[in-house]
Amino acid sequence: MLAEDSTLLREGLVRLLVEEGHEVLAAVGDGVALVRQVEAQPPDMVVVDIRMPPTHTDEGLRAALEIRERWPGVGVLVLSQHMERNYAAQLLTSSAERVGYLLKDRVAQVEEFLDALERIQAGGAAIDPEVVRQLVIRTTHGDPLARLTPRERGVLETLAQGHTNAAISEKLHISTSAVEKHLNSIFDKLGLAHTTGYNRRILAVLRYLES
Amino acid sequence: MQGDSADFTTRPLPTAPGPARPGGDPPPTPPAALPRRAAGVLSGCATASLGLLYFAVVGTLLGPPLLWPRTRRHALVVLTAGARRLVRLERRRRSAFFGDSFPDRPVPDHRILRYLATRTYAGLLTAVVLGLLGFGVVLAGLLVAALARGTLGWRELLTQALLGGVLLFLDVQGLVSLEAFDARLAREYFGPSERELMQRRIDELATSRAAVLQAVDTERRRIERDLHDGVQQRLVALAMLLGRARRGRTPEQADSLLEQAHRESQDVLTELREVAWRVYPTALDNLGLKEALAGVSERCDIPVRMDFALAGPLPASVETAAYFVVSEAVTNAAKHSAATEIVVSVRAHGPVLVVRIEDDGVGGAHLTGSGLTGLHSRVGALDGRLHVHSPTGGPTTITAELPCG
Repeated sequence: MLAEDSTLLREGLVRLLVEEGHEVLAAVGDGVALVRQVEAQPPDMVVVDIRMPPTHTDEGLRAALEIRERWPGVGVLVLSQHMERNYAAQLLTSSAERVGYLLKDRVAQVEEFLDALERIQAGGAAIDPEVVRQLVIRTTHGDPLARLTPRERGVLETLAQGHTNAAISEKLHISTSAVEKHLNSIFDKLGLAHTTGYNRRILAVLRYLES
Repeated sequence: MQGDSADFTTRPLPTAPGPARPGGDPPPTPPAALPRRAAGVLSGCATASLGLLYFAVVGTLLGPPLLWPRTRRHALVVLTAGARRLVRLERRRRSAFFGDSFPDRPVPDHRILRYLATRTYAGLLTAVVLGLLGFGVVLAGLLVAALARGTLGWRELLTQALLGGVLLFLDVQGLVSLEAFDARLAREYFGPSERELMQRRIDELATSRAAVLQAVDTERRRIERDLHDGVQQRLVALAMLLGRARRGRTPEQADSLLEQAHRESQDVLTELREVAWRVYPTALDNLGLKEALAGVSERCDIPVRMDFALAGPLPASVETAAYFVVSEAVTNAAKHSAATEIVVSVRAHGPVLVVRIEDDGVGGAHLTGSGLTGLHSRVGALDGRLHVHSPTGGPTTITAELPCG
């Protein structure tokens, strides 16, 4: 299910998703209509643009949060015009399952967009690499992130995007055992409790970066 | 706000010479007609004789108490109370015959007495000058009569006419000066002080400066919206088309997607040109206002009739403001008015450029969020005026007056 106010882009997205074998139940132009559609027939997944009529500020985000709350089983992928830490945080603090936050332009990189959709559908998360990079870059004085090695930083960034250990090892061309080793070191340095389930790890990392 | 007829009137144009008048004031009245002013001068003589009478009678009566220290203060109060009445009469005369409108505020006693004394003196002097004029008229009459009887030599006639002419000139000059003095005196005692005028002008400038900043921000927001809603969406769609083409299952599908992408890229370019033009029409600098406005009418879906009559070049800031007034008003009309024709006229009325946009649409123009507020600030920053007249049912007329001095 889609909510995007630009007709052109909405049509493009529908076409792309249909070509890729997804079924599009509805494509609407604003947040209120989206919630109404979900109410009528909850889909597996909604893709929603943050900035939509009438005020062109955060309608899409509010609709997304409402859907998260009322239909936790529905995956939500939010498309944002700019990198908005505050929006990302609002979306992710509820839970980091079946949720994604991508920059709108990421849609243009069709593979990455489809990949994010798949990860969300599998119950995971998808955070835009650019968002993660900006969060990681914000190293202030005394920030524990500053103590990470460049390799560990790369691992953390990839992890924060919602990838599994296997995917990280593939992306960074290192062995899975090396990934685990790096992760342990990262969690040590960040003082985070060891937990299983990568969603909670992302959440922890993101929350930590937000602090 | 949806106004039946909203008059977005900024301050009156500053009239030169003289201080600019602030927004809250009624606009300066044009000088009264000559007969009215003449009546004003005559009645001024009458009130001055009242003043003289007052000072003579009451001054004589109150003379001893005024000199006596113990009773001086009380006597002064009595004297001033009467003087105030006469001054009120003077002010009424000024407003009735000369259209003065001064703020009603307390004037201290010593200033009341000083004004009345000066005014009385000036009024009596005016009476004397008028008397001389009358005397001159009588003499001229006698001269004409003598001429008619043939008892006047031409040399004597020439001497008399020359002398009379000079004296008449001096007399009229005196009258004119006295009238001006009367006006200046009233302004000095009752009008806003130089300092107040400056204070008001400063307030006004601060307000218009804030409005200009706001207009700039609004403009920027609009540009951002233009870029985001138009160009960026198109580019994303274009990239998606290319992405889909690369993933195309069959060569035919890939080809058709590529063709679409190619078409889309042309549209992006058009869109970008449009946005750039809306940000600032370069034609304004290169080709001048007339050409830039021709561009506006070409872009509009409704027929635009352009009545452009300007002799000389305009200051750049005025040209730009005029362009944006027309462009914004025409865009608004095309979007909201359902008009069948728009008439734009750009004409110079003396030192003021008057830009008028009329449409035969449904009226009821929204004055907020329609760019009119921004225009209002833009025009106000140049000390101009913007009127919007848009009753429900139409027609809508938007007029901007821009001083070019």
